[in-house]
Amino acid sequence: MTNVWTKVASILIGAVVCLPFIGCNVVRVTLNTSLTPEDVAFIVPGQTTLADIVDKLGAPDTLTNSETGVVATYRFLDLKYSRVNFGWLAKPWTPIDPDLIFSRTGFGVDAFEVHCNQQWIVLHQGFQRHLVRPPFHPYPFQQSQRVGGRELPTSNGLAIMASHGFGHIRPSVSSAQ
Amino acid sequence: MKTRRYMVLLLLVVALFQGCAFSRGTLGDDIKAEAVSLIQKGVTTKAEILNLLGAPDRLLQLNGRDVFQYYRYDAKAGSLLLILLNFTRLSIKSDDLFVILNRDGLVEDIIASKRTDSLRFRFWPFGE
Repeated sequence: MTNVWTKVASILIGAVVCLPFIGCNVVRVTLNTSLTPEDVAFIVPGQTTLADIVDKLGAPDTLTNSETGVVATYRFLDLKYSRVNFGWLAKPWTPIDPDLIFSRTGFGVDAFEVHCNQQWIVLHQGFQRHLVRPPFHPYPFQQSQRVGGRELPTSNGLAIMASHGFGHIRPSVSSAQ
Repeated sequence: MKTRRYMVLLLLVVALFQGCAFSRGTLGDDIKAEAVSLIQKGVTTKAEILNLLGAPDRLLQLNGRDVFQYYRYDAKAGSLLLILLNFTRLSIKSDDLFVILNRDGLVEDIIASKRTDSLRFRFWPFGE
């Protein structure tokens, strides 16, 4: 008898553990490599040149003219989408195909901009936004918190960090001065 | 006996890869490393750049200098479709080349990076 209850309890625990994953989709889209303040900490305005930055981060996505020099922009995206369809729970017992969907998307679009003078020396640098950690949980009714200039989800369980590190960058760059 | 083994192996491979999807998309032509290596600062002319790499994707003006921009995007998506639980990961990376020309039409500088070499098919959306 005890054996039967143990089996039933195991099945129930298994069902409870599996429940949140029913009809679940997790999608992630990354464009280039996300940059963090730590990745660009080596840049010293007035000293670092664009060539130094290209050596470490690779070529920028765009170069644009400004009155006092050039603006190099590194764009990146870390889109996180998750979706749970609780309608799957009722599927075995209903003749219709019910849906109860919770989904949430964190776009994580950002850009790092470097303003250089005409001698290619960095004058200013900064991130366009500070969305380092977009949410990765399907609950759509929760507000995100902005902490220290960064967007942080209020739940501490399912959020993950944006990716770090760079791909292989061929440093075929020479001095730009 | 051998045939049976191969059949089991084939079934195992089919069973492991069912519910998998691989997709790929590219934008722009490949920026040939050999062509880039032929470019010499102060020597190569605008016409030679056009011969080597073709027309640029973008033509910019920086501090009175012409800049030719070439780019290529590569996207690889892997999906694991387990009916109840689906994972998809799409990774996009770009190769960029900027050729800066001086007022005499000679190459002044080159800024290039090739990131698509390290692009892989990935399924797991969490972590790095």
